[in-house]
Amino acid sequence: MIGTAASNRRWRRIFLIVGAILAAYALLAPLTSLEAAQSANIPLLADKLWFRIATIIAMFAVMATAWNIIGGITGYAAFGNVAFFGIGAYTTGMLIAKAKWPFLLALPLAPIVAAAFAALVGLPLLRLRGHYFAVASLGVGVAVGELVQNIDYGGQPVFGGASGLFLPILRIDNRGLAFFYLMSAAAVFSIAVTWWVLRSRFGYGLIAIRENEEAASVLGVNTTAYKVAAFALAAALTGLAGGIFSQWNVFINQENVFPIEYNVQMILMALLGGTGTVFGPAAGAILLQLLIQFLGGTLPISFDLPFVSSDARPIVAQVILGLLLVVVVIFVPRGVIDFFGGRTRLSLSYLRRSLRETSL
Amino acid sequence: MSTAPAGPQLELRGVTKRFGGVAAVDGVNFEIAKGDIVGIIGPNGAGKTTLLNCISGVYHLDGGDIKLNGSSIAGMAPHRVARLGIGRTFQIVKPFGSMTARENVGIGALFGSAHARRGVKQAFALADEVLALVGLKAKADLPVSALTIPDRKRLEVARAVATRPQLLLLDEVMAGLNNVEIDEALEMVRSVHATGVTVLLIEHVMRVIVGVCRRAIVLDSGQVLAQGEPEVVLRDERVIQAYLGERYAKRLKSS
Ligand SMILES: Nc1ncnc2c1ncn2[C@@H]1O[C@H](COP(=O)(O)OP(=O)(O)OP(=O)(O)O)[C@@H](O)[C@H]1O
Ligand SMILES: [Mg+2]
Repeated sequence: MIGTAASNRRWRRIFLIVGAILAAYALLAPLTSLEAAQSANIPLLADKLWFRIATIIAMFAVMATAWNIIGGITGYAAFGNVAFFGIGAYTTGMLIAKAKWPFLLALPLAPIVAAAFAALVGLPLLRLRGHYFAVASLGVGVAVGELVQNIDYGGQPVFGGASGLFLPILRIDNRGLAFFYLMSAAAVFSIAVTWWVLRSRFGYGLIAIRENEEAASVLGVNTTAYKVAAFALAAALTGLAGGIFSQWNVFINQENVFPIEYNVQMILMALLGGTGTVFGPAAGAILLQLLIQFLGGTLPISFDLPFVSSDARPIVAQVILGLLLVVVVIFVPRGVIDFFGGRTRLSLSYLRRSLRETSL
Repeated sequence: MSTAPAGPQLELRGVTKRFGGVAAVDGVNFEIAKGDIVGIIGPNGAGKTTLLNCISGVYHLDGGDIKLNGSSIAGMAPHRVARLGIGRTFQIVKPFGSMTARENVGIGALFGSAHARRGVKQAFALADEVLALVGLKAKADLPVSALTIPDRKRLEVARAVATRPQLLLLDEVMAGLNNVEIDEALEMVRSVHATGVTVLLIEHVMRVIVGVCRRAIVLDSGQVLAQGEPEVVLRDERVIQAYLGERYAKRLKSS
């Protein structure tokens, strides 16, 4: 590691403690039930809408953290990971809606099917280099969504077709709370998996592949197997989020589980937070999802954007996100998590250095 | 290492590699005995690097066979060749840029030969040993970008040595070094060889070949032109004139 180790460690500890307190608050405050939170007037979490937003943030934290395993750690920019989210959602959804499986039995199948699919398409796809892999994976992402909507058997849509798939509502107390916890657990699990990966022989192999694939292979890294495993692992976690989403949302269709913009959003979150790091993608998910909701006008604290009519709002939001992508890639190439290590501070010279690094 | 079989450790028979019809390596035959230290020389474009890529599995052969300890390794993926105990360096170094020197070498120790499989902790302990062996101990925690060119060449060797190879292939690890650095690098190669590793090294620097090699193989236009004791091969007027050029001929005569 570079920099003074001691101050580095101190800052990391402070960052972790503050993070842990915030996480504990977010996770434990609603335990006292929504009503209790309301009567105790605990800010933010007493609101149902915030609850939903928090669950969505956790969902994106899973997806961005998962993408980081293939895109950030292994260096293969997958642009079609939403396929795994959709596959996970439809796996769990079909098992519950058609086969009448209980949710908790149907959920583990989501990551398994998503990972199996990733391994299958990964074998040919991961032989492609750089841009070719990115484009091909985007194609797979789009194709899977179309297939799921359009596959018919005996004149009947197999997966519910264009009208989507309805799941029976899970009859439990505090549904929203339960799904918030479940999605948060998936996020924590994804982060823990990343933490383990980065300390394991597997993770060192993946980083070696990212840094120089040919050198990795002559040192004994089975590059094909490792890349496919990383892709499948990312798919499994993304599929898990999809599986939880299907039962939480009760209704799934092509539009809500295969949205192409998720592909860009999860990558942007990982970039914003810091690719290749443990907490970066999740931090990026929190920041960016809040911004997306804010720009979209769905936050309870939202206000009108100046000079923007409500009709133009979604377009303006997309433009702002696009600009953000450009700015982040150029000026914060290692993500905002970089500022929490005590190593770097956001300054003019930092931006200038970044610009030098990312320019020709 | 377990029982070494009789016969050569590495055996090439009719090894051929073509690029678009042109044979960069053309029916190469030679053998290397266990524990030997052999040099490959030849003019630019002779096919030395291509030959090394054939042995390490980076290229598929267009003909011939390569045997390690009597069994064929032709057609094997590079990682399988590495696990059988063949380590190599790249002429144009290929470090893992985001890693420190120790982490670079650690990758070699973590993967590498199958017989030397080890956990992350032991791998980094071995990496430290190898870094000391090649004289990079003090720079273990530096990122690659902070290393000088000679140090990057050392790192390249260290990474390959950390795989615990039985056979080490070095591709011009001394090119671009000054005389003092070459002496240090020579010492490094000798100390690696002294640990029982067979060494096959490609070099342009004659001093290196004569200084450490017991045998030299001269390659030209993809074919073996001559092989034998370095002094004998290098003083072969034909080899000097035709294949190493006037410059080497003069330098050799004056030395
Ligand atoms: N990947 C490739 N594709 C096409 N031709 C190649 C390729 N690699 C090498 N060659 C050609 O094969 C021949 C042998 O090249 P090689 O790199 O093996 O030579 P070399 O002996 O290592 O030379 P040098 O001393 O310059 O390193 C050259 O004519 C080269 O142009
Ligand atoms: Mg060469």
